[in-house]
Amino acid sequence: MTDTLRMGFNELLVSGKIVLLIYFVGVNLWYLALLISSMLELRRHFLLISEESRHLLLSSTLSPTISILAPAFNEEASIETTLRSLLALQYTNLEVIVISDGSTDRTVQVLIDRFDLVPVKAIYEQRVKTQPVRSLYRSSTYPSLVVVDKENGGKADALNVGLSFAGGELVCAMDADTLIEADGLQRMVRPFLLSTEVVAAGGTIRVVNGSQVKYGRVVKTAVPTNLLAGIQVVEYLRAFLFGRLGWNRLGGNIIVSGAFGLFQREAVLSAGGYLRDTVGEDMELVLRLKRLSHERGGPGKVAFVPDSVAWTEVPESTAVLGRQRDRWHRGLADVLWRHRRMLFNPRYGVTGLFIYPYYALVELLAPVFEAVGLAALALGLASGAADWRFAGLFYLSAYGLGTALTAVTLIVEDVSFHRYETFRDRALLFVWALLENLGYRQLTVYWRLRGVWKFLRGRKDWGKMDRKGFHPLPASGPRAL
Amino acid sequence: MISNHLLDVVMLTEIGLIGLALSLYLLHGVWLLFNQRRGLAQTERARESMVRLVNSTVVDLEQIESLRKLPHSVQTKAFLEVARNVSGSGMERLRFVAQQVGVLDHARKLCESRRWTRRLRGARILSQMDVPDPLVLKLLIDRHPALRAQAAEWAAAQPSLPVIAAMLRLLADPATQARFAVQTALLRMGAVAAGPLTTYLERNSGSAAEAGLRVAESLAEPRFEQVALRLSRTADVAIRTAAAKLLGAVGGAEAAERLLELLGDEAFQVRAAAAQSLGRMHHWQAGSGLSERLRDPNWPVRRQAALALRAIGAPGVLFLRRAIKGNDRFAADMAQQILDLPAAAAG
Repeated sequence: MTDTLRMGFNELLVSGKIVLLIYFVGVNLWYLALLISSMLELRRHFLLISEESRHLLLSSTLSPTISILAPAFNEEASIETTLRSLLALQYTNLEVIVISDGSTDRTVQVLIDRFDLVPVKAIYEQRVKTQPVRSLYRSSTYPSLVVVDKENGGKADALNVGLSFAGGELVCAMDADTLIEADGLQRMVRPFLLSTEVVAAGGTIRVVNGSQVKYGRVVKTAVPTNLLAGIQVVEYLRAFLFGRLGWNRLGGNIIVSGAFGLFQREAVLSAGGYLRDTVGEDMELVLRLKRLSHERGGPGKVAFVPDSVAWTEVPESTAVLGRQRDRWHRGLADVLWRHRRMLFNPRYGVTGLFIYPYYALVELLAPVFEAVGLAALALGLASGAADWRFAGLFYLSAYGLGTALTAVTLIVEDVSFHRYETFRDRALLFVWALLENLGYRQLTVYWRLRGVWKFLRGRKDWGKMDRKGFHPLPASGPRAL
Repeated sequence: MISNHLLDVVMLTEIGLIGLALSLYLLHGVWLLFNQRRGLAQTERARESMVRLVNSTVVDLEQIESLRKLPHSVQTKAFLEVARNVSGSGMERLRFVAQQVGVLDHARKLCESRRWTRRLRGARILSQMDVPDPLVLKLLIDRHPALRAQAAEWAAAQPSLPVIAAMLRLLADPATQARFAVQTALLRMGAVAAGPLTTYLERNSGSAAEAGLRVAESLAEPRFEQVALRLSRTADVAIRTAAAKLLGAVGGAEAAERLLELLGDEAFQVRAAAAQSLGRMHHWQAGSGLSERLRDPNWPVRRQAALALRAIGAPGVLFLRRAIKGNDRFAADMAQQILDLPAAAAG
């Protein structure tokens, strides 16, 4: 009886590991296709932008008006710096709307004092239902600045309020701690000028940890020496330069980072604005816009602009990073579940047939396959159902090619944008790329699995996100953005 | 079942790929070590030669020869860098040097390439150095929109009638990029484009006219008045809206009269544009009509009417104050908000 059970168990392990192997080889082949696509796209992009005169956009009064929506929650320490850097962005037709989402600190008072704000009657055209607005301010010195103080309702709610006040044809959604490069908007607006089909565009998010920031601008880039932050630099480079860029050519993206994205305001309002009861509001909006473009007609293209850059601070502690990754994965699961009817549905074109299935089978389920694989491998080795040769093959399939792709991404970054110029930075990046698979990757599997578990249990909280900030920040309040 | 041999093959392929990628990264590092310094030195040399040549009144053949020996990419980079910072006689000298070094001939050759990316590069070099070459004019009808846009950018610095005529045809271009570039270029040309644009607007309607109206609004030349009046009577809402804005930009009694009529237009976009234009003209006689629009069912119309009342000064402010005390809560709230606005934000 025991022998029969053992044999059955071994057989299960052997067939299971073959399935896993096929899965990982399939995923790797897809990654290779994405890499090739991203390299072709980058080449085309550089041919298009090389020696272009972007400054003409600055002088043209015909450029589309952009309203920046900057939700802020308890940002009294950094809001002045952030806002000054936003007001100094190189773009002619710009409006900046700061939405204090029920801040319990002096965020609004700091804004009143530093930007000569005066209260005006708080009426507005509410096209999306939101938490009530407490007060509205306009500046005596900055005509394009609007400050809204509202009841706490989370980031999506704050952005919806911002949408109601925005006057621009395009709205730029960002996080209050994101540092947009001075010419970031000029670059980001390009796809909207190239095609009327574009409904949203996202830029590259880079890791600011380790770099030098002055007056809300990154003045000197450097790869962080902190292990977690360093590995995240590699992760972000891979996600943006290889993932999003690759999808640009293969049918478009369904993710625009919540930290920096540009949208057609009217399209967002017609779609009903941001969804409040999800933790993946940025991805949900983009997928909804794409879905509606197929159902109702109208623009639905989502572009990625690799040279439009914003900087963000990444967590340097495992606890905070874990909460962030868990939330991201919960958001992904939630969004995919909400739009499940798109899966393999030819009505939604490339999105339904390729992009959505990729996110469901690869992005969402990867940690499940990885965890099952690791567990089965350990059991297999212990029971003798798997040998070391197979273990080696599994490791190479699961992580090896990833390292190779990362190495190629780093070369692409160096050849195209070369933001990290010193030998030290390049060597550090290489070290972080090698170390990524030794523990960090397995930790992210755990966090993402936790995210799936919490999603299944219906958890929708954001979790406390502590940041070091460019200035010391006070503790978070009831619901962080 | 998968054989051990197949597993070995897969494993070896994976190891090979990893090895290849890692070696590529290291080789890239080595390449950088040697080439980056050389590239920087060449660029530096090119910059120095360029500065000497542009600042000097005599032709230094030695410097030109040393520039000629550099790779095309380094030459182009250096010339374009300087081109952004010179104008007038400095630019003329730069063009002369570029001609001697062969940069302009290279750009012309690129403009005639079968590959659009090369044509684009060629056009950009000639544009940024303001070279009046008919080759670029031909690119206004190129099949790639990026080329048409680039040619339009070049044309902004060559404001002759044939160039303007070719540009105006592009106002109906189906590619947004080309249309935007043409609009911006016409604006940069300024008053010289106003005459041909008036004729164009007299003969066109639809999206082509809309694109032209936006340029005309920014140019704000009085000669657009008649055409704006005509277009303000078309059935197309977008055209009527653009025409209303143009009327506000050019001003005049006839324009004001028509704008007052447009305050009652069936389309809210047109009513809002008319209100905005009356405010822009500071037409105080429109106070009564604008105050009626404070009760408009549409938000943007109410807001533009209130802003216009504030813009026309004391009489308008009087109407706003009256609206605060009136029965219409929406009108009262809007009037209050606009009166609360600091002067900087009310403009």
